[in-house]
Amino acid sequence: MKSNQFRWILSFLLIVVISLTIMVTYYNKPHINVRETKVDYTLSTINLIEEYQQDEGATDKKYSEHVLQLEGKIFEISAQQGNSVITLKDKGSESSVICQMMAEENKKMLKLKKGDNISIKGVCTGYLLDVIMVRCILVE
Amino acid sequence: MKGFYIIVISLLLINQVTAQEKYLTKEGYISFFSHSIVEDIKADNNQVLSVVDTSSGEIAIQLLMRSFMFKKALMQEHFNENYVESYKYPKASFTGHILNFEDLDELNGITEITGTLTVHGREKEISTKVLVEMKNNELILSGNFKVDVADFDIKIPAIVENNIAKTIKVSFELRHNPYN
Repeated sequence: MKSNQFRWILSFLLIVVISLTIMVTYYNKPHINVRETKVDYTLSTINLIEEYQQDEGATDKKYSEHVLQLEGKIFEISAQQGNSVITLKDKGSESSVICQMMAEENKKMLKLKKGDNISIKGVCTGYLLDVIMVRCILVE
Repeated sequence: MKGFYIIVISLLLINQVTAQEKYLTKEGYISFFSHSIVEDIKADNNQVLSVVDTSSGEIAIQLLMRSFMFKKALMQEHFNENYVESYKYPKASFTGHILNFEDLDELNGITEITGTLTVHGREKEISTKVLVEMKNNELILSGNFKVDVADFDIKIPAIVENNIAKTIKVSFELRHNPYN
């Protein structure tokens, strides 16, 4: 009788521990790792901007929250709150793509200069006057 | 949202002759903070677009909800998918006036900013104190204010009611550069 009761308590505790572990893991699940994530769309900055300008609503549904790989020319590199920001913009274009780089990419910025053609992978968040990308990394 | 673009474009284009009166940033900072007994939640947005016309004190601000960065991925997901419904309302905006702008002593001082805040497709008139500074040719606006979640028709499920504050503190720091 005693041992039966003990078994019940033990299995109850086990269930509590397992469900707590699942809850904590779920609660602490990590942010998307852009480097390891498959690219959803590969395109040039011009094409991306043009698509947004033609139909912002539909384009936003297509690209935002997705991992994009973009090819374009560096217009500006700036720093902000410990992160680098690369602006990709082509000659004659009013709009640009503003890419907020991951902090781990900071060192690589030293090798880059205005006018370089580069490839950037990141998550698109939408369009203001420019297309905005976050969690970006350089593709080498 | 059409109205917002008209304001931004008119702020940027009208009076090209006096272009030095327009100030712009595409990398403004806005964060919000929710304090509750269960947890504190903070999110930062470093990609805020803001345009100021110093001749009239007019200001237009716009940001993408998905550009808010949370410490926890799960919070960011719930915020975008369930609370502010970013797929339906991807942007938040503010259009208004910086009061007594021309009277500020050499453009450094505290004044009031008043206008319409649009979040989750709902509009609300707000008014808050703002510190205006002019440093190294940068026009800096900073301050904070509080908003009620309920004013923007944002529904918080009962199960996480205690995790999220009813009133959220919003902080801003917008460093504008001259636009020409």
